[in-house]
Amino acid sequence: MIRVENVNKFFGDVHVLKDVNLTVEEGEKLVIIGPSGSGKSTLIRCMNYLEEPTSGKVYIDDVELTHKNKTEMARKCSSMVFQQFNLYPHMTVLGNLTLAPIKLQGVPKEKAIEDAYGYLERVGLRHKADAYPQNLSGGQQQRVAIARALATKQKIILFDEPTSALDPEMVQEVLDVMVELSKENITMICVTHEMGFARQVADRVIFMDGGTIIESGTPDHFFENPQNERTKSFLSKILR
Amino acid sequence: MSEIFTFDNVRFLAQGLGMTIMIALITIVLSIFFGSILAIAKNYGNKFFSKLASAYIELFRCTPNLLWILAIRFMVPIPPLASGVLSFTLFTTAVVAEIIRGGLNSIPKGQFEGAASQGFTFVQTLWYIVLPQCFMKIVPSLLSQMITIIKDTSFLWAVAIEEFTGKSMILMGQLRTGGQVLCLFAVIAGVYFLLNFTLSCVVRKRQEKSAI
Repeated sequence: MIRVENVNKFFGDVHVLKDVNLTVEEGEKLVIIGPSGSGKSTLIRCMNYLEEPTSGKVYIDDVELTHKNKTEMARKCSSMVFQQFNLYPHMTVLGNLTLAPIKLQGVPKEKAIEDAYGYLERVGLRHKADAYPQNLSGGQQQRVAIARALATKQKIILFDEPTSALDPEMVQEVLDVMVELSKENITMICVTHEMGFARQVADRVIFMDGGTIIESGTPDHFFENPQNERTKSFLSKILR
Repeated sequence: MSEIFTFDNVRFLAQGLGMTIMIALITIVLSIFFGSILAIAKNYGNKFFSKLASAYIELFRCTPNLLWILAIRFMVPIPPLASGVLSFTLFTTAVVAEIIRGGLNSIPKGQFEGAASQGFTFVQTLWYIVLPQCFMKIVPSLLSQMITIIKDTSFLWAVAIEEFTGKSMILMGQLRTGGQVLCLFAVIAGVYFLLNFTLSCVVRKRQEKSAI
């Protein structure tokens, strides 16, 4: 479904991604972990071309992403949930959910609104349809952002540290929604520090450091029996 | 008092006030339109358009307004109203472009990324997501600019365009006593003040609202 081939990314002189190769299958739940600066966010942002690789290729369903087709591919293939939510503050929750379906996908307004209520129901925020994002808590905003990602009915959802900007007591409500979501045949790629979530949901966990993928495996293998020294030391610091 | 403000004279002044408001309104509308184009060109355009927009903005920010009023009036053969609007639009566009740019620069990068991740093209992103937020933020600055325009239209008296100050000055020529002159000046000032103070109150209301 997604294939990353020999991707390198430089920010100025900084070599952020070093020859990264990765294949993600349809419906797979992939969790990417690693210390800050390891390139994990950059990698996930290359998958919808928010960052364009300096060299190497990214394919979705065997179509190569290019500067030219990135908007069209984002429209057709993937959604993203951001650390800072990035909801549209000048629109109500309902407006946030229906804008892309109506303007980009040609869904009739009534149908888009009806669908939007369905997605809000799923994240438990149907009663907030007419609220503005800035009047919601962080956890609620992120749940709206997930509903917005669902509203465009994409096969791939990219999560870029969805709980990192939240107050601790709000993390769980967002994770609950994501766990619920993982039961569907959506390809989920998630950069996160939530190890409990990774264990519960992931088909595969990859550990990145210094711009390369150090280790990859099923959650059981990964957390119980990590092979690489760097992985071991990272996990020992994070799992207490 | 009653000698100055006869029905005919009041009507005469009201026509001038109408002209003033008309010039200010058309100018601000045109300036927002052209200013948006300039701001977008300067912020997001390629090197050529960006430089071109910068050149325009700097040219009109660094030359006196009255110079353009005189130049347009004496060199472009169009009716007085059009002449006033054209000269004001020329330099107000530069000011408004900078106001809009300030608004655009205050929109977080995440808004562009959120829109891009949903598949909005750059133009769609500006239209549906960035510009609406930008204009909500800059309404107070635009209204302040409107106040400036209304006051500055009095310059047009210098080129015999009969807006409010121009009409008043014509009326002034018919007065005989110092008391009458003082009275008329007071009324002119009062009218400008009321008009602009109202706008200024709206600005303050908006600012308090957006501060919350």
